[in-house]
Amino acid sequence: MGGLVNYVIRRLLFAIPVFLAVSVITYLITNAAGDPVQIVKFGIRNISPAQLEYLRLYFHEDLPVYIRYFYWLNDFLHGNLGQSLYTGSVVALIVPWIGTTLELQIPALALALAIGVPVGIYSAKHQYTKGDYAITTTAIFGISMPTFWIGIMGIIVFSYYLHWLPAFGAYSSYPPYWWGSPFMDALAHIILPLAVLTLVSIATITRLVRANMLEVLRQDYVLAARASGVSEFKVTFKHALKNAITPVVTIVGLSFGVLLGGAPALETTFSWPGLGKAFVFAATRLDLPTVLGITMIITIMVLIANIVTDLAYAVLDPRVRIT
Amino acid sequence: MTEAKPATKQRGASQAAVAWRRFRKNKSALAGATVVGFFIFVAVYGVFFAPLPSRSFWCLYNSCADLPPFQNWAHPLGTEPSGIDVFSEILHGALGDLYVGVVATAISVLIGLLVGALAGYRSGVSGALLLGITQIFFVIPVLILILLFARIGQLLVAHGLGLTLIVVILGIFGWPTIAFVTRGEILRIKELEFVQAARSLGASNTRILFRHILLNVLSPIIVLASLLVAGNILTEVVISFLGFGDPSTSTWGLLLQEGFSYVRTSWWVSVFPGIAVVVAVLGFNLLGDGLSDALNPRIRE
Repeated sequence: MGGLVNYVIRRLLFAIPVFLAVSVITYLITNAAGDPVQIVKFGIRNISPAQLEYLRLYFHEDLPVYIRYFYWLNDFLHGNLGQSLYTGSVVALIVPWIGTTLELQIPALALALAIGVPVGIYSAKHQYTKGDYAITTTAIFGISMPTFWIGIMGIIVFSYYLHWLPAFGAYSSYPPYWWGSPFMDALAHIILPLAVLTLVSIATITRLVRANMLEVLRQDYVLAARASGVSEFKVTFKHALKNAITPVVTIVGLSFGVLLGGAPALETTFSWPGLGKAFVFAATRLDLPTVLGITMIITIMVLIANIVTDLAYAVLDPRVRIT
Repeated sequence: MTEAKPATKQRGASQAAVAWRRFRKNKSALAGATVVGFFIFVAVYGVFFAPLPSRSFWCLYNSCADLPPFQNWAHPLGTEPSGIDVFSEILHGALGDLYVGVVATAISVLIGLLVGALAGYRSGVSGALLLGITQIFFVIPVLILILLFARIGQLLVAHGLGLTLIVVILGIFGWPTIAFVTRGEILRIKELEFVQAARSLGASNTRILFRHILLNVLSPIIVLASLLVAGNILTEVVISFLGFGDPSTSTWGLLLQEGFSYVRTSWWVSVFPGIAVVVAVLGFNLLGDGLSDALNPRIRE
């Protein structure tokens, strides 16, 4: 157990410099994008010199950029992400967006695992049969499509042509609700984006599980287990799967970052009010503090996901803890 | 040395022959190679078949805007309400996507090989540092940072660079996987007998690294590069779709972005460029998978 604790501490210590490196780079690039005072100025009619001077002091423009960064870092670590250049404080804007993004991502990941892992095992066990060819062909199509484009196709077919499902948003703000009640309305809104995200994730997970399973099934100890009369079911699920699943855990943890990163296009397509859409909107109108805030929040979420993955990996595979 | 050369050459040829035989047997790999060949052909010669020049609004002034597909054979895939011809634009866009996919991958492969070779060949502090930098890229939200760089780079360099800006950004963010794999392979290969033999013959470090090791590392890198081209095309499509690309060069992502604003009425502007993306990306993915099967020595015939 001591090895495990040590391992987790080491991963945490790796996360801190990564966070700092990303924050420095993001801070510098948003700083290079332009002067926030000039952007805010457009929103205020007849701005007075006193107001301008106040804005300049607010953004610490009298100080060099490396000192400003530490002001920002101090605020960030105290949970203050500053004010949006348009309206409201960034924290108040971001917090509900985190919820809506996870509301879409976590069920998608869970569904994709529940379907993708068994399908991958089936495909590996029946290599070079018709079922395997059907699965691998579908999966390679799945990873070759832009996620948001499948979303657009879904909107064209199910919303504009068949009128079965709503085309955008996470809920209707006022009646008439889809399918009767506000709850069913939210359900109607989530079906299409959730289905698209799940399908794409299933493709990735199935391919991974299949490849790892094939690699493991080819190994000598599986042959030895079979030779000593262990049933095929036990060989697959007890001997092979245990070793095939460990790399999958890592990749799923990493792909959580990819999922979150893939969120901008999909959320924009469905007008899903989450972090990704907010990021695109803020970046388009150069809302620099919001862009910086969202980037760092997503970075932290991905780092946490990675640490959790590493932990799961260390529990599953004792060898990892030593090195 | 002159005597050793024919021997290595012969062995290399036979390895390549084995790989080629396996590749030829693999139907999906052949299909992938065909699609990739067709894509490159369209990208290079598409200009000659396209009815209209790139980003041309000709139809807006010649009463053929917002045509549905398969009705007017001068505009087989229809036109946008703004007058842009979808078929021409797909042909022109192929070049943009090929450029982004291939050149960004080339940059990534160069950086990745260099970093991976150094990290693998040099143990000690510099190797550990390079490995650490490589690992950082695996735990950060890369696409978000790519979008941020694309958006702000677009502002800072105006439209001077166009697609090249995206190429450079994708190239800079794509190398870590290649470096990681290169390092692993080098750590494995440098302990093998033939490297020890070369060293005992007095070959220099540089010679061993470039002549003996890198050549053996290449096969997994070719596979990764093919998959990376596919990934880069997908990322370019996302960047342009979100409006962070170059609005004056034809790419499929830009066409999809325009299509999405008319999606309610003119579905064809969203459908056809998407199919083009899927076909091209599928080609590179199939090619990569096929190469991986053909070049993997662990899979016995």
